[in-house]
Amino acid sequence: MAEVGRVSIRLPSSIKPGDIIRVRTLVIHPMELVQRDSQGKIIAKNYNFIHTMTVSFNGKETMRTEMTQAVSQNPSFTFPVKVDRPGKLVVTFSDTTGKEYAGQAEIKLS
Amino acid sequence: MNEISNGDVKLTRRLFVRGAAAVGFVAGLGRFFSNGSVLAQANPGQPLPDEPVEATMKRLFGNRTISYGEGKIKIELPQIAEDGGNVAITVEATLPVSGATHVSHLYIIADKNRRPMLAKFSFTPDSGRAFASTSIRLATTTDVRAVVEMNDGKLFAVSKNVRVTISGCDLPPQG
Repeated sequence: MAEVGRVSIRLPSSIKPGDIIRVRTLVIHPMELVQRDSQGKIIAKNYNFIHTMTVSFNGKETMRTEMTQAVSQNPSFTFPVKVDRPGKLVVTFSDTTGKEYAGQAEIKLS
Repeated sequence: MNEISNGDVKLTRRLFVRGAAAVGFVAGLGRFFSNGSVLAQANPGQPLPDEPVEATMKRLFGNRTISYGEGKIKIELPQIAEDGGNVAITVEATLPVSGATHVSHLYIIADKNRRPMLAKFSFTPDSGRAFASTSIRLATTTDVRAVVEMNDGKLFAVSKNVRVTISGCDLPPQG
């Protein structure tokens, strides 16, 4: 999975000032499942999954999501952002190996 | 731990590991209950222990009453999910995210998952709306709850049943 950590962001085609837009984002990540031994006990180890997603617009955090392994592989999210001026939207995913994957999109008003 | 304090027993590596694990577990437990966080912060890769949904609700919301959120929260899920490993869920609340009383968090909880807490969304006034959509894993046919927590501590919840044909959580047992 050479592509792990690729973040793609999709914005609506036309954005007017004051709109609450819905942004779709997808990250390539295995979101490793819990492994169990034959007794059904959880095997304790450091599992590799994304635990936090943060969204910031023009440097200000607008939303944060905490999640567990119960989110699918290659998770996709749709979230709202209130747009009153153009700017940079950054979506950051942090996983349990300490890596951070970020994607950004330029929001232009029409 | 008893085995280590006993002077006759040589501190073998195995014993040491066992003792260290016990200490770590107790320390982790303390942290887990003290900050009330959804995920253990110090070692986020370690999964939380299995727990029934009642325990999850109690851990997250204590003994607060949860009102029925019909008309305030809309939850969209397929009636039948063929692949439990990827179930699309959309939750939208008509409650405001700014002003005197606003939505602060949105929880997604699946009753029959062995660790029912799935995701927690935290909104700010810049979100504009309490809305979230993602894809989740479901272990079996279950109710999925969406719980909205307001900044004043009020809770609203709705739930929906999903039939799951193939489990999304189970891997074959290892070793």
